[in-house]
Amino acid sequence: MSLNKLRGKNNEVKLALAGNPNSGKTTMFNELTGSRQHVGNWPGVTVEKKTGRASYQNYSLEVIDLPGTYSLGAYSEDEVVARDFLTTGDYDVVLNIINSANLDRNLYFTVQLLEMGVDLIAVLNMADEAEKKGIKIDKQKLGQLLGTPVVETVASKGRGIDNLFAETVQHRDLSEAALKIDYGSEVEALISEVVSMLKKFDFTGQINQRWAAVKLIEHDPEAVKLLEREVGASKAKKIKSLIAERELKAEDDFDNIIIDRKYEFINKVIAESVQRPAEDQELENVSDKIDTIVTNKYLGIPIFMTVMWAIFKFTFTVGEPLIGYIETFFEAAGGWIGSLLLGAGASPLITSFITDGIIGGVGSVLVFIPNIFLLFLAIGVLEDSGYMSRAAYVMDKVMSKLGLHGKSFIPMIVGFGCNVPGVMATRTLDSKRDRIISILINPLMSCSARLPVYVVFAGALFSNHASTVVFSLYALGIVMAVIMAGVFNKILFKGERSHFVMELPPYRFPTLKGVFIHMWEKVGAFLKKAGTIIFSVVVLIWVLANLPLGVEYASAESLIGQFGQLIAPIFEPLGFGSWQAASSLVFGILAKEVVVGTLGVVYAAGEGGLRAALTANFSPLAAYSFLTMVLLYTPCIATLGAIKSETQSWKWPLITASYLFVLAWVVAFIVYQGGMLLGLGV
Amino acid sequence: MPLAMLRKGETACIKEIIGGRTAKGKLTDLGFVSGKKVKIHSSSGGPLIVALGDNRVALGHGLAHKVMVDTEGCES
Repeated sequence: MSLNKLRGKNNEVKLALAGNPNSGKTTMFNELTGSRQHVGNWPGVTVEKKTGRASYQNYSLEVIDLPGTYSLGAYSEDEVVARDFLTTGDYDVVLNIINSANLDRNLYFTVQLLEMGVDLIAVLNMADEAEKKGIKIDKQKLGQLLGTPVVETVASKGRGIDNLFAETVQHRDLSEAALKIDYGSEVEALISEVVSMLKKFDFTGQINQRWAAVKLIEHDPEAVKLLEREVGASKAKKIKSLIAERELKAEDDFDNIIIDRKYEFINKVIAESVQRPAEDQELENVSDKIDTIVTNKYLGIPIFMTVMWAIFKFTFTVGEPLIGYIETFFEAAGGWIGSLLLGAGASPLITSFITDGIIGGVGSVLVFIPNIFLLFLAIGVLEDSGYMSRAAYVMDKVMSKLGLHGKSFIPMIVGFGCNVPGVMATRTLDSKRDRIISILINPLMSCSARLPVYVVFAGALFSNHASTVVFSLYALGIVMAVIMAGVFNKILFKGERSHFVMELPPYRFPTLKGVFIHMWEKVGAFLKKAGTIIFSVVVLIWVLANLPLGVEYASAESLIGQFGQLIAPIFEPLGFGSWQAASSLVFGILAKEVVVGTLGVVYAAGEGGLRAALTANFSPLAAYSFLTMVLLYTPCIATLGAIKSETQSWKWPLITASYLFVLAWVVAFIVYQGGMLLGLGV
Repeated sequence: MPLAMLRKGETACIKEIIGGRTAKGKLTDLGFVSGKKVKIHSSSGGPLIVALGDNRVALGHGLAHKVMVDTEGCES
């Protein structure tokens, strides 16, 4: 499989990490390469291939992290990524990451790889969890039976990594013969007939012929496609009809026999190499006890709502005083730097650039670092605990009424952090229809970029009910997502329902390290965004606020003012027809934090602070209407780009952008006009 | 009988998986194969939660109807 061998580079090793979902591949990847890729305790965290580098002694290693998969069958997009790489990719050794506490199911994939002739090291990860369960694995025996090296690790604690490196470089040229499982006389006879036909038809390539024969007998669609490509349709037909003919004569389905024999082989391997406590000790464990409460018919949804509410309450209550400090700091800095610059004889233009532009614009956004920090801390705990899958399970009841199922809820939770990974997380859904609907509704999940907008408005206009107002927006987003999923389900697609099956991993205590890595990553990304896109847009707006030359700063006559006035009438019926609000929404499509940045610049918030400016310019009702608009309207360009690349078409990002704008307008209209009728417009 | 008919707390032995290629493939991948013991941890109208060895798997009703089981239990 490896090109390196052909190139003759012997100190370059290419490793692929493969294995079942949630077996710790990405944790291992981070350990090996020193990267900080996102990990979590739910199946499907990694949906794309990631590459990193490591070095060991004088070897240079390239490490490729693949999405988890239960088999080479590949039913969803993320699994296809893994399968395609494993069957056709360029690598020297596969590190097959195995959850030691769950050996039999994990070995089903291992056996498939070994049958394919992959050079593989079996990595018994999570060895500590197996130990805790009293499972004893005889590594040597296991290796002997599988015909491949076995290494024990605990990636989350960095245990066994050195040993793994040593084994990997030692076995980099491992060329063990492919594993052969005895499928019984009937199937074996057919296998050898198919193999000889494959030979006759010159089916060569890099693919193990016996493996190809087994796959063809299983009617694997990919194998059939490959065969047709390699030998042509007519010869492929001969093989297919041979298989069909034999199958007709046989008593049992061949693919049943193949599956059963594989598991028999695995059971035998396990019986000879693994010792586990007697079955009657199968007491309900802690995870099960938690599950009886958390997944309870009546309590499940209320508990989920409480968890979400607790996350936001935590984000605000702890964040609020911190925001206050930073705000005071920026205001003081704005005033102080302003007078310092003027005193030093700097031109008013430069002073305005620093105080109104940078501090007023970027500063207004940076104020919200504590919230971002706390939100991702909470999401990190949620992801590492194992609750994600339970939330999906609980929400299945709601989702199934919409023609989706519980698994579709996971991308929605991911969307609370950011809609880009939310959209990408839909790869784990195996029906195209479920994927498209989930993508279309994902932007309704209120991402962390919208949080600053809510917080600044809520603080300015709803100080006593700030967290209730913000939570109501999140809830409104979920309700709208549910409604829209129902609508899309009715009008857009008819189609088969997909099957719901999902692992519920055991609960784990989130590790400090894991949660902090996650949080720092996100805060780092936020700072980077503030320094790049938000900064650039804010500078652009400041320039527009100063042009044409000689105009009063940020007045209606400035370019930004004229531009805003052009659009403002659209928003007039929603209660916020000012040019400032209009232009902030338009530029907000570049990145949602920019809504705050723009308002900061156009209200010259460097002095006095943005909250004061908002109190003066918005009524509470208009502010709430504005917030519903911000929640629901056209997603940011990064999200639209992700939709484009995930759906491979411009159609879906265009549909998303336009339907969301219309939806947002209608809802904000109802909020504002309804509120006016109820006499809330004061 | 199909797994979907079992009640909470009941155990059974998997006899066979019926149904199409995809359904069967997905179930097999997760370890639903003949001869395995399953226990129902939750059945409350929504998807089942099934214990399959040390695994806990949420299983929709559609799929749970494709897993044929024997309530007599497994031999070994």
